[in-house]
Amino acid sequence: MSRKPKLRGRAARLARLIPVTAGSGQAARTPFVLLVVLLLGGGLIGLLVLNSALSEGSFKLDDLQKGTTDLTDEEQALQRSIDAYSAPEALQRRARELGMVPGGDPAFLNPDGTVKGVPSPAADAQPASVRRPLVLAPEAMDPAGGLPPATGTPAPTATAPTATAPTATAPTRQPKPTPAAPEPVRPADPAQPAAATPVLPAMTTPTPTPGR
Amino acid sequence: MTEVSDREPPRRRVPRPARPERPAARRGPGPGARPARRPAPRPAAPKVIRLGSPRPRLRMVGLALTLVLIAFVVRLLQVQAVDASTYAAKAEENRYVGYTLAADRGGITDRAGVDLATSVDAYTITADPTLFTRKQLKVDDGPEQAAALLAPILGAEQDTLVKKLRPANRNLRYTVLAYRQTPQVWKQIKDLKTALTDRAETDPGTVNALAGVLAVPTSKRVYPNGDLAAGILGWVNAEGKGAGGVEQQLNSLLSGKDGKIRYAQAGGRQVPTVGSTETPAVPGSDVELTIDRDIQWAAQNAITDQVKASAADRGYVVVQDTRTGEILAMANSPGFDPNDLSKASSVNMGNAALQDAYEPGSTAKVMSMAAVLEQKVATPQTHVVVPNRLHRGDRLFKDDIDHPTWYLTLNGVLAKSSNIGTILATGQLGKTQRQANQVLHSYLRKFGIGGYTGLDFPGETKGILAAPGDWSTSQQFTIPFGQGVSLNAVQAASVYSTIANGGVRVEPSLVRGTKGPDGRFTPAAKPKETRVVSARTAKTLGRMLESVVDDEEGTGTKARIPGYRVAGKTGTANRVDPATGKYKGYTSSFAGFAPADKPRITVYCAIQNSTKGSYFGGQICGPVYKQVMEFALKSLQVPPTGAKAARLPVAYKP
Repeated sequence: MSRKPKLRGRAARLARLIPVTAGSGQAARTPFVLLVVLLLGGGLIGLLVLNSALSEGSFKLDDLQKGTTDLTDEEQALQRSIDAYSAPEALQRRARELGMVPGGDPAFLNPDGTVKGVPSPAADAQPASVRRPLVLAPEAMDPAGGLPPATGTPAPTATAPTATAPTATAPTRQPKPTPAAPEPVRPADPAQPAAATPVLPAMTTPTPTPGR
Repeated sequence: MTEVSDREPPRRRVPRPARPERPAARRGPGPGARPARRPAPRPAAPKVIRLGSPRPRLRMVGLALTLVLIAFVVRLLQVQAVDASTYAAKAEENRYVGYTLAADRGGITDRAGVDLATSVDAYTITADPTLFTRKQLKVDDGPEQAAALLAPILGAEQDTLVKKLRPANRNLRYTVLAYRQTPQVWKQIKDLKTALTDRAETDPGTVNALAGVLAVPTSKRVYPNGDLAAGILGWVNAEGKGAGGVEQQLNSLLSGKDGKIRYAQAGGRQVPTVGSTETPAVPGSDVELTIDRDIQWAAQNAITDQVKASAADRGYVVVQDTRTGEILAMANSPGFDPNDLSKASSVNMGNAALQDAYEPGSTAKVMSMAAVLEQKVATPQTHVVVPNRLHRGDRLFKDDIDHPTWYLTLNGVLAKSSNIGTILATGQLGKTQRQANQVLHSYLRKFGIGGYTGLDFPGETKGILAAPGDWSTSQQFTIPFGQGVSLNAVQAASVYSTIANGGVRVEPSLVRGTKGPDGRFTPAAKPKETRVVSARTAKTLGRMLESVVDDEEGTGTKARIPGYRVAGKTGTANRVDPATGKYKGYTSSFAGFAPADKPRITVYCAIQNSTKGSYFGGQICGPVYKQVMEFALKSLQVPPTGAKAARLPVAYKP
């Protein structure tokens, strides 16, 4: 450009508007280019970091969700086994395995030692205790030991002789005036006493007329 | 160029500053050539055919352009302003994905909070049969191998699994192997699958036969106590909606409200910067019933055993708290297991204690007696001469047994359950039979006969009680002793609870309250209370009912509980066979409450069509009553009052 001839008049004025110096232009561009490169690079890295943070978050979310599911499953499985143990049917079976029998008529013990109601020995105490050992295997006592077999296998510790079993069972069912048991006799199987109730002779003649 | 522009200023406008080198590059041809070339065509122009004036053409083009632009503008307005929302919605349909968040169904518990019905996570095990073909596995017996592995885990037949994995339709890509399995089952399959995959990688001899087994997460309704209280709870259908019992009655409360989630997606992934809208699911409320699980079990056990022993069609036991009207137990036999409906018979799937209407028989005599006492036409000591036969209307009435003329008190009429005595006593209710009918009817209505119990249970019957004007000639004499009128077991139990509660009828209730998702307990509305008979009448009736059980001549001696004062009434009714509509077989029942002098619990038992052994209410329902009552007294720790029994006279010497 230095070889250019001198301009005059309008052309000179116009020429002055034009940034002609190439050297100075180059010098002004460097920071700008750097800025752009920086911005682009920064953006790229930022995006990368953001993306990996997101993936990390979703990995974590996934792990936590999986953990929640596993724990929920475990909780529900445990609840199921608790329900299985505490169902009335299962309790009755366990109680029978332990040699318990349903209590008879309810009787109450007052704080002063008097008895309310008419206590009587449990109806089917004998057959139950003869059939089954009074003492159960230790693993059956352990709540975590799993369900004992329904047959109630006699454990080696079950040394209680069958002859003493009925006498051992009956008092427990009978609310004797011991201050430790002011409650009614709880374990009851209503199915059993029915068979033992005396049949009244007057009512056994069936007649086809309604009205009883 | 600067030189040129200097000479020809109008030709070229201000040179562009961005291209300063151009003039140097174009130095060859030189700017001087241009003026020489340009003028050349100009002299030729006059020689060409003269075109029409450009003005109309320009106008035409302008007009066309205007029209086109107007069309564009109109369309733009339409898209951007008028129909903007429609298009935005259409765009969002693609941009946003949404799905429903299923609400957890609430549980049902007994009065102590023990779960009776609850929802758990489950997996439906499915398979893609195309992944078991020879092409995929390089072996022929892929389905057989998979079935052998899965059969013990799923507890299914190997053959049925093979059939499902080798369907007739070769393009089938979805088949369900087992519905609603526990997470443990799916975990077992998953573990087996990974083990097989590992083996297949190292050992080319083994194939991963389980590669095509998949699972769909779902939820399952579980009834931890099996058939316990199944009639009350009902069941849930395949869509997860309650289809019977409380599950149906309170379905909207139990099911909660499904939620919704919507987020912007790109390539199936959520765009994090775009906000997502989420309506969280509202879990269903927990329902707490008035049922006591232990008493329910005792009742169910007792009635099931007795129904079996008597080879009967059906039996019900209702246990009610006399003070609050809360139903402590409502047992039906035979019942069903709501966990496995495939084995249940549809006949047994209802709640027969509320859905069966039957003639109660003598247990209804207590209402006639209540009317007689309340109207003050007789007292328990009033003498009644009971002949062996009584002619009324078009019929000859008799008692359950042939007897010489009895000289009974009114108390004795109830204790010995004399039909004739009851007809004679209720005849005194009005000056004419018509008036007596009206009075009796008003008492029956007040006791809740012929109206809904207030439980609002699905499928509940209100029984059949004709208007007094419509009573037939024989009906007006049979209704006093409980024939010609129908009710359900809860209505019958409620009658005895009313007497036990001092003559005030408390509407039975089955739901104690609900526990919302926030954990707050909302008690159910207080049941309606209406006075039916005076407290005095109720007390007298209680003492009369005692003689039924207590007196040696009473019909309900089997229901005695030593130490307690027990009030009760037996019933043996002619049963209307639902198949033929004619009388066939008997309905045996027993109703009563204890302790008689300070009532706490009402127990009602009825057995339909007992075919083996006795069919008398006192003989087969009395023991059931005793068992259930004893258990309930022990469970609720109700001590005997220790007072002496009433021992009202049954007969008198003429």
